[in-house]
Amino acid sequence: MLHFDRRLLRHFDWALVVTLLTVVGISLMNLYSASHVGYFGTPPYIKQIYYYLVGCGIMLAIISADYRFLLRVNYLIYGVIIVLLIAAMLFGKTTMGAQRWINFGFIKLQPSELAKLAMVITLASYYCRKDTGKGFGLLDLIPPAGLLLLPVLLIAKQPDLGTALMLVFVFVSMTLFAKVRIWTLILLIMLVLPLAPLGWKHLKPYQRQRIETLFAPENDPLGAGYHIMQSKIAVGSGQTFGKGYLAGTQVHLDFLPERHTDFAFSVLAEEWGFAGAIFFLAWYFFLVFLGLNVAGAARDKFGVFLAFGVTSLLFWQAFVNLAMVLGLLPVVGMPLPLFSYGGSSLLTNLAGIGILLSVRMRRFSRGGRENKG
Amino acid sequence: MRQVISRADQINEAELLILKRRLRLASVLLLFFASILVIRLWYLQILNGDEYFKLSENNRTRLHWLNAPRGMISDRQGRPLIANRPYFNVTLAREDAPNPEDLLNRLATILGVDVNELLDRIREGEDYPRYVPILLKEDIDWKTLVAIENHLYDLPGIRIDVLPSREYLYENLGSHLFGYLGRINEKELSESEGGYQRNDQLGKLGLERIYEKQLRGEPGRRYIEVDAQGFEQHEVSVQQPLPGSDLRLTIDRDLQDVAEDALDKGAGAAVVMEVATGRILALASSPPLELNKFVGGISTQNWNEMQKNELKPLTNKATQGQYPPGSTFKMVVALAGLSEGVINNDTPFFCNGAMAFKGRDYHCWKKHGHGTVSLERALAESCDVFFYSVGMKVGVEKLAQYAKSLGLGAPSGILLENEKGGVVPNVEWKKRRFGQPWHEGETMSVSIGQGYDLATPLQICQMTSTLVNGGTRYRPQLIEAVMDADGKVAKGFEPIVDGHALGTAKSLALIRAGMVAAVNSPHGTASIVKSKKYLVGAKTGTAQVVKVEQYKHLKEKDIPYKYRDHAWFTCFAPADKPEIAITVLVEHGLHGATGAGPVARKLLKEYFKDSPDAKEEVLIEDE
Repeated sequence: MLHFDRRLLRHFDWALVVTLLTVVGISLMNLYSASHVGYFGTPPYIKQIYYYLVGCGIMLAIISADYRFLLRVNYLIYGVIIVLLIAAMLFGKTTMGAQRWINFGFIKLQPSELAKLAMVITLASYYCRKDTGKGFGLLDLIPPAGLLLLPVLLIAKQPDLGTALMLVFVFVSMTLFAKVRIWTLILLIMLVLPLAPLGWKHLKPYQRQRIETLFAPENDPLGAGYHIMQSKIAVGSGQTFGKGYLAGTQVHLDFLPERHTDFAFSVLAEEWGFAGAIFFLAWYFFLVFLGLNVAGAARDKFGVFLAFGVTSLLFWQAFVNLAMVLGLLPVVGMPLPLFSYGGSSLLTNLAGIGILLSVRMRRFSRGGRENKG
Repeated sequence: MRQVISRADQINEAELLILKRRLRLASVLLLFFASILVIRLWYLQILNGDEYFKLSENNRTRLHWLNAPRGMISDRQGRPLIANRPYFNVTLAREDAPNPEDLLNRLATILGVDVNELLDRIREGEDYPRYVPILLKEDIDWKTLVAIENHLYDLPGIRIDVLPSREYLYENLGSHLFGYLGRINEKELSESEGGYQRNDQLGKLGLERIYEKQLRGEPGRRYIEVDAQGFEQHEVSVQQPLPGSDLRLTIDRDLQDVAEDALDKGAGAAVVMEVATGRILALASSPPLELNKFVGGISTQNWNEMQKNELKPLTNKATQGQYPPGSTFKMVVALAGLSEGVINNDTPFFCNGAMAFKGRDYHCWKKHGHGTVSLERALAESCDVFFYSVGMKVGVEKLAQYAKSLGLGAPSGILLENEKGGVVPNVEWKKRRFGQPWHEGETMSVSIGQGYDLATPLQICQMTSTLVNGGTRYRPQLIEAVMDADGKVAKGFEPIVDGHALGTAKSLALIRAGMVAAVNSPHGTASIVKSKKYLVGAKTGTAQVVKVEQYKHLKEKDIPYKYRDHAWFTCFAPADKPEIAITVLVEHGLHGATGAGPVARKLLKEYFKDSPDAKEEVLIEDE
């Protein structure tokens, strides 16, 4: 559709790609350790390689198109996601008590994953059309809050509290980035705080228990506290240099039932110790930092918001997962982006990286002014 | 593209700069959150690392899943048909066995096997990580079990795994109903709910599969602390398993047994149904599945053998076998004829052995004809010409409507896999199926249950029940009750009405009389089930397999087995107050009365064995 422009390559963010590949490499190596035995058929680490290949295809497709196209279709995307979420509620497949999947026969789709990206695109489009200089007041926030609330309620109903919270996190980040008036902010905080006990009442018993056990996991070593305690033991017992690759004892004893998905980082921390964990986190947060850099280099307001939104999505997922694995947050079922096993999450996050690359590549074409000089 | 960009292009450079300045603050926040994680890691791994390391080394909690005893399956009177038997397997957790050679020598003595046998097992499992237990010996007996339990403290790392397994109390009785268990596969595991583990068994077919959730119960969990040497220190906690619910079937063990026994030699099916409720008292298909071959997983060789067997043991012929209903379809024609006013009970037709239509002779099975016949004799002696005439007058569309109202042409909805629906043809069906117009001559074939007509034995049994119970079509059901672990009925039997027969009560009464005549009149075709003790109504049938001229002149016993006709027999009793309907199909059994009739007679005899005048003999002795 576009003739190939060499400047696209010149502005290609090689640092981002190299960092991504490093994280992916570590992830696959770690998945192998977590899942190479005890599976029938294709083991997860092999499947994950397939997902990566599919994800790379999606990334290339996104890179080849101009991200500003998204600005034109943002409400269409939003509409499609809402329809999919409703479809998941009506026809979705129930696993572990939550309706999250729609089976299209050839592919199983988890619309709540896609909803994360759709939220970023929707809010980026919304804020880029508004004046972000003087700060939003209370009334200005009603429309974007409405855009947030509809998918959040649908997802929370599944129930997938982790994803619902993630949408809220991204919304708060992007809205603060678009600037909120200081008094509006104070007012909002004072309004929301008294609501907390009300929200507590609406949580399902197991969700409540997870939060309670966070503060005293020893009270419930067999129930909800079990994951947290075992994960902490796994991480802690890694000490400075770890127990060695494939030699983790904790992770291999079925103590960590989700060891290749949500608790993948515990495996790494146990086998490679503090040194390995820091090494990995350095690369990982460098990736997030590069995402912010893309926002800084974007040629227009939409690009800035889009890159910031994608980056904040990546960051919050990572932070919530890591904090959960390290026993700082309750267990919410949140994979570590680009690291944990799981197709839907991986494809969504790779698509996000594709958006970042696309924003970065097109920084030169600002209004056609730069290219003349 | 340009128009799209234009709006975003109207940027305020200053606003963009402000936005980008905010990114610096975001970077600082990123650093802040990252350092929280780093500090936490330092706290866990460096500051408290020693302590956590000790926890992971010395105080390991082991989780053992405790399988819930699977629910039992019993017959309608509560007589158990399938129970459980535990298998005891000896396994070794290598990482808990510091000195394996010494250990294996001691174990070999207790098991009474050569130590090399055990070493071979360990070599096979060497590639697995050390925490995966290795199976050393399966299915040890009680004496060995006790011996090992007594020495467990000298055998660190040795564990006894209890694997519950099915015990079939009556060999293959009801095999097609129960189905079998097998090891869970990856697909089932990923789709499962409720804590399935690898190596767990689950129902793969039949009621074992359909009632998996109820039968299985909920597994329990046992947490044990073991020390560095692998000795169990103490039990941290136990969550007892919740035993599975028991199934009580509508099946009567004795009737089922008689049915399977009577069908034993060949291929076929028999169904016994309570006419006023839809309860299935027996549902047999021959040859049976050999259930014991499925215990612990069926071998490929056994499976292939079953698939190749020309008697098709894997097919449940009662619900999946579709056959031309033959003369059993004549009741449908009679019902349509009577109810549509085409005939009444004494409308005469003349049978000279054939009926000509469009230059072709359609023969009656009786070469020289029945002479003048009306309904009762036509049913009793199964006169084809009579039903050709009635069928032609009613027309194929009406025939199809009446057939469908009796449950033909669609699955009955019994809770078994892959039930077939048979075929009730009409003009539209043929057009859809073959893209061809309907020929009137085909209505002739349809009227005597040949041609495109197809039905399963279960459908014919349901049809018979509906005809004799006053016209209510009950759904055939197999479950009398689901009983939860403490013996309370969680879900009891309730009849389900799926529809009503078209046609008048008077027509139904006339058809019943015709069927009674088939048994009790001098020339009736179904006299084989005649009894002084109870009044039976019946209809025989023959389903043509092929119309091959070259076999026409042969004697029946010289026709190759696979070209012989199928034999049908359907009946109900007691005729004055019907309780049960029995339908039998014997593949390649040649004639309804002689091929399938004896099976029905044995079932009737069994059903009425306890009725008051039990000492009276059945008129015709068993062959």
